[in-house]
Amino acid sequence: MVGIIMVNLPTPVGLSVAGYRTLIIVVMAIILIIFEPVPLPAVAMMMLILQVLMGIDTSNGVAQSFMSDAVFFIMGSLMLAVAIVSQGLDSRLALGIIKLTGNKTWKIIIGFIAISAFLSSFIGEHTVTAMMMPVGLTLVKNSGVDKRDTSKLAALLLFSIAYGSAMGSIGTPSGGGRNVIMLGYMKEFGVGNISYLQWMKYAYPMLLLEIPLAAIILWFTFKPKQLILDSAVRKLKVHVTKSGTLKGNQILTIIIFVFVFLGWVFFSAKVGLGIIALIGVFLYLAFGLIRWEDLNRNTNWGVIILFGAAVSIGLHMKDTGAALWVAETTIDWMKMISEDVSILRWIVAVVLTGLLTNLLSNAATVAVIGPIVLNMGGDPLEMGFSTAIASAFAYLTVVASPTCMIIHSSGLVQQSDYLRAGWKMFIMSVSVLYIVSNFW
Amino acid sequence: MKFLIAVGSKEFSEPTLRVGLQVAKAFKAAVTIAYVGPKVSEFSSSQVRFTQERMEEWEFDRPGVEVLEWAFNFLAENNYITPTMVETGFPKNTLVQTSGSRSEVYLQGTVCENVNLILRNGDIIAELRDEVQRGGYDVTIIGGSQKRRMAHDLVQYIDSSIFIVNKYDKNKSYNLLLPVDDSMRSPKAVKFGARVAQAFDIKVNLITVSKTDTFGEGYTQASKRATKLMRRAGINHEHRFETGDPVTVIKKAAGNDHIIVMGASTKNPLFKFFTGSKPIKIMEDCQCPVLIVK
Repeated sequence: MVGIIMVNLPTPVGLSVAGYRTLIIVVMAIILIIFEPVPLPAVAMMMLILQVLMGIDTSNGVAQSFMSDAVFFIMGSLMLAVAIVSQGLDSRLALGIIKLTGNKTWKIIIGFIAISAFLSSFIGEHTVTAMMMPVGLTLVKNSGVDKRDTSKLAALLLFSIAYGSAMGSIGTPSGGGRNVIMLGYMKEFGVGNISYLQWMKYAYPMLLLEIPLAAIILWFTFKPKQLILDSAVRKLKVHVTKSGTLKGNQILTIIIFVFVFLGWVFFSAKVGLGIIALIGVFLYLAFGLIRWEDLNRNTNWGVIILFGAAVSIGLHMKDTGAALWVAETTIDWMKMISEDVSILRWIVAVVLTGLLTNLLSNAATVAVIGPIVLNMGGDPLEMGFSTAIASAFAYLTVVASPTCMIIHSSGLVQQSDYLRAGWKMFIMSVSVLYIVSNFW
Repeated sequence: MKFLIAVGSKEFSEPTLRVGLQVAKAFKAAVTIAYVGPKVSEFSSSQVRFTQERMEEWEFDRPGVEVLEWAFNFLAENNYITPTMVETGFPKNTLVQTSGSRSEVYLQGTVCENVNLILRNGDIIAELRDEVQRGGYDVTIIGGSQKRRMAHDLVQYIDSSIFIVNKYDKNKSYNLLLPVDDSMRSPKAVKFGARVAQAFDIKVNLITVSKTDTFGEGYTQASKRATKLMRRAGINHEHRFETGDPVTVIKKAAGNDHIIVMGASTKNPLFKFFTGSKPIKIMEDCQCPVLIVK
């Protein structure tokens, strides 16, 4: 309905017909993604079909823009997650956490946030959440019988995992598909090639600053009755020691991942992050660590198709001038508030990205917003980087990211809990990002 | 006949399950008890499913399994399933995934025919509609909801009779309020009401409401037929004619100590969407269980 109305409206001044049609597809896609009246792959197909039918590009052109290194990376990282989590490394992780943190609840919380953040910066947030969830829930289960007594502890532990993972995903390009999408746009827009280590140099200080602040926010939002988890930690140890020593397949899993990581650090500029992720998947399959049937069953192909379509529309926003028009129009509106838009421009980009990421998905948000912010003026490196990082501020809603959805699926956290803690996390993250982007 | 009983939680669904099974027993119906868990965004469906599989290796049940286990215990305590099933306990391992978000476990019933337990995830209306289409249920039984639109959506989208067990108190004695008029579905509602009254062994208050002071031929004939049916079935009943706005009169007559049984509206769905209907308004406003017969 919205699409039909927009098609019948006159093309805005300064915008090409193709650009206007691209924007119509973007608006339609955003509405369909938020309300999910049709399956997500259908939205992706609609985006691809309409680009051709509305004369924005040829079918070959759309097909070429659909598949990129970013999409390879998203596909590869989803498969790597399945391969790694299937090996049962969560038990080893649990043992490591306990050794580090002891049995005091506040130390466990800091440990959960720090370890989730550290790991997710390399292997992606939902992989870490999937591995940490059983550890957290075992602690909750063994810390009290009454659900009311443990509800705050459950929220505290689960949000430590989810928010820790979300925060960590900014740490390296491989922390999330959206980072790779933004790197692709930066290259496409001529902003420059940022290496894996350069990204870490920019992003890790922010991550380190956020860890203690997040711990404080979560502790005071969900202060638990249980200040020491002595018996729960002991029971977790008993459970974990049953799994015995590190097995051959687990060692091989870690070795392959280390190789993948080294590949990202040293060769990604040459061959791309996506290809290296796919090499990792190939090795896991070749060594028989995971069956194709399991990869196929647990990989969300619909999301991969959608992200491919989102990147395609993002590139056409650039090519048709739609991104530039939206950016200039936004700047004109900002100038009505203040002539000096340097700070306002940054705030709008970051807050808009942060809010959209809580409604859409972080990768889809970056795919759509990315081309606009890179056209908004100012330092495109700072704008692009801040946008990619702000897309990790998925704290406010259940649907914000797979990590939020995973902890919600435990049935132990309510929708209202996300807002209770999320708005503080959101403000904290925006503030830290502002400080880091200005002084680092 | 086939009944679908939707339960939401251990804390609040006991009256729904109790009443639902009692009615199903009267009809000797096959019963399916369904729990619908929260919807999982398509962006996260694979990751959530995968994490839940990992959780099972740590001996954590999927969310919702504990509700089915509670339903199993309720069935066992009230002798709705065979002693062999009770002895073996809740057969968690036989909870089989039958499609994307649907898992099922079969139990052998005693007083009702087979009793199945179902676990689903998604939008409650969409999932119940799908389940009703799949299983061809005659009645869907569900607890009252705070959401005002819920009654409308249930009646509009679910292709079976709807029984909303709203504010049911097992310690309170109820009568059955049966509005009778000349509408197409009224005779079926009367027959249904008679069976429910027999199941609960309660008195039936038949009521015919006219907006004007006169009662047409259709109304008087319908009320005569209903009275005759009650008399023949040996059900304690009384009948009265009232004038006024039907929704207000029925709401007042029902109070909080009646179970209302009435026929669904036959209005066009689009018209109903904008203007509502008597059964929907009664479902939304009354503080007692309401059964809408389709």
